[in-house]
Amino acid sequence: MAEEERKLSIDPATNEMIAKARVDGASIAFDRAEKMKPCPIGQEGSCCRMCSMGPCRVPAARNRDETPEEKARRTGVCGATAETIVARNFTRMIAAGSAAHSDHARKVVEAFLLTAEGKAPGFIIKDEQKLLALALDFGVEIGNRTNEAIAIDIGKLAMQEFGQQNGELRLTRRAPLKRRELWRKLEVAPRGIDREVVESMHRTHMGVDQDYRSLLAQSMRTALADGWGGSMIATELQDIMFGTPAPVFSQINLGVLKADEVNVIIHGHEPALAEMLAVAAQDPELIDYAKSKGAKGINLAGMCCTANEILMRHGLPIAGNFLQQELAIVTGALEALVVDVQCIMQGIQDVAECYHTKIITTDPRAHITGAMHIDFDEHHAPETAGKILRAAIDNFPNRGKNVRIPDVKTDLIAGFSHETINYLQGGLFRASYRPLNENIINGRIRGVAGVVGCNNARVTHDDVHVRLVRELIKNDVLVLQTGCSAMACAKAGLMLPEAAAEAGPGLRSVCEALGIPPVLHMGSCVDNARILIAATAMVKDGGLGDDLSDLPVAGAAPEWMSEKALSIGQYFVGSGVYTVFGVNWPTTGSREVTDYLFKEYEAVYGGMWGFESDPIRMAKLMIDHIDKKRKLLGLDKARERVLFDMEMRRSMEAV
Amino acid sequence: MNEKAENACAGSTVPVLGETFEPGKPEGKADGRWRQKLGTRAEEMKYLETAERYWYSKDWPGSEKRKKPA
Ligand code: SF4
Repeated sequence: MAEEERKLSIDPATNEMIAKARVDGASIAFDRAEKMKPCPIGQEGSCCRMCSMGPCRVPAARNRDETPEEKARRTGVCGATAETIVARNFTRMIAAGSAAHSDHARKVVEAFLLTAEGKAPGFIIKDEQKLLALALDFGVEIGNRTNEAIAIDIGKLAMQEFGQQNGELRLTRRAPLKRRELWRKLEVAPRGIDREVVESMHRTHMGVDQDYRSLLAQSMRTALADGWGGSMIATELQDIMFGTPAPVFSQINLGVLKADEVNVIIHGHEPALAEMLAVAAQDPELIDYAKSKGAKGINLAGMCCTANEILMRHGLPIAGNFLQQELAIVTGALEALVVDVQCIMQGIQDVAECYHTKIITTDPRAHITGAMHIDFDEHHAPETAGKILRAAIDNFPNRGKNVRIPDVKTDLIAGFSHETINYLQGGLFRASYRPLNENIINGRIRGVAGVVGCNNARVTHDDVHVRLVRELIKNDVLVLQTGCSAMACAKAGLMLPEAAAEAGPGLRSVCEALGIPPVLHMGSCVDNARILIAATAMVKDGGLGDDLSDLPVAGAAPEWMSEKALSIGQYFVGSGVYTVFGVNWPTTGSREVTDYLFKEYEAVYGGMWGFESDPIRMAKLMIDHIDKKRKLLGLDKARERVLFDMEMRRSMEAV
Repeated sequence: MNEKAENACAGSTVPVLGETFEPGKPEGKADGRWRQKLGTRAEEMKYLETAERYWYSKDWPGSEKRKKPA
């Protein structure tokens, strides 16, 4: 009974569609999560299946300290300790996350090179200035050369970052000098993206690296190869091809679907196909074709991070975040769910079979049994986009009568790239991070938090994100967001300037002066690299220390679920940021490993991990950390003085 | 502007900031597209050296003035 009463989502559109799915008999993740409980041994990282003498399960004692004898017994057949097993599993998760972001980046570099060579019809070098910035980063000659010639050189060098064997990834040069020195000293400066992932897989193979500190150092190098490598390359080259995001107005939630139009949702992570679909959806010929089938037009919306990409650059509406992907089909009004890579539930195919929706896979790396596949090839992008939309239009007459689109959607403003945040603080002639730093120093803004990550069917959908972010802004913490977390807060109305009314007085004052929301949408998951850059700009501007670990900032992924999120968290920690995760934590099978990550890491990296499932307590951990950093920077003096004055006043009144 | 004081998180009081943006709601796609204001390549390079001086200006020591570069 109690299980049934667990609130599944705070979002009314989601709850309405969960109820409809149950009536329609469609199997959705919310219900599967109730039936399929997580394996407690796997969840704490204590199961090793690295060889066929296992799997070996070495679960930790529950709710009590174990004796030394019990601890000694917790080994696999090969003698691997719980520490080694837990650290190996953690490292492999990070390797997978780093690989996902980086393989996305590799595809972007390939498309970028094809664009520069004029072999990708429909794609252009859109943002010359960002191209020039990358040319400076990569040491490419600018002079009077054409954008295409510069882009070819950048693309070739970017591609080398994957296969490089020694040295350091080029974009790590953007990090604060002190941070780079620390990475070198600790021997975690990433050498080459692929090398770090492969080495992690090797070192976690049976019988290789069997010291948890050593394994975790390699996991750090692999994560840094993601944040300051793969993810950053993806973000930067996507900006050059599709434009650097600037403020843009849009709407979010299932209510963006239209009853009288052909609805197409593009879901996944890579923006190239979505960009082409956005263009094709405006094609008068295709619109006429849609009309010939009885629809009034073509309505393209996004989901998950592909949605964030096209929202940030074109203001295209978002139909929902990760846990809403099956529910979009349940509306009965979706002609096609077009998917590329990452975070795509196989369950969508099963749900689609209850309705008329076509699942169209488009990436040769990601097929789904039973789904239609239309291969997306940059050489023929406009034709492929047209073919996909025609398939969706052809499906419109198959729409049944069981249609219900929730009347729920929220306005939002997105597009806060690092470049835009910089510009908004001074305009073309005085762009700077100085106003932000000054407002942190004078105490209007207490600090900055990055709140990112996924949804997770084990917790109430969107609830942890929204309550955490509300608590942070109430306490004058400016919040930067990406991914599904950003979508959760956008649905709650926190990405509108009016949301400043919910912020503490200092933050509200700054938001009202600039006309910005207290919660800034910075993009997709690979765009967490934008948060690294924004934080680095704060350091380099001055007045807040000389390393990222000096800043009054903290990070969180309150509803995380993917291995990518773990990689993101690890590269934030390795960059010096205290980072708190919710839901559950995958190393609790070893107290030593967990203590190392949660306590000792701070002395090593200046940043460490934290865990808390309750959003209010999570906010407190983050605010306490921000206050600790403010104190170390000497920014707490004013507070002590004022408190003393108030105390004085009270005692005077008492006399 | 700046008539009222507010409590800052640090416990001190700071003046309330005045609005610096133009009133009204954004309409249409063109709003917010500030990057189009950068015209020539020379202007773009100049902007990188000034606005993005943290990485692209040789004269910006910021918080990282060092005798020996890292
Ligand atoms: S590597 Fe060791 S702990 Fe892992 S499954 Fe094989 S024997 Fe068991």
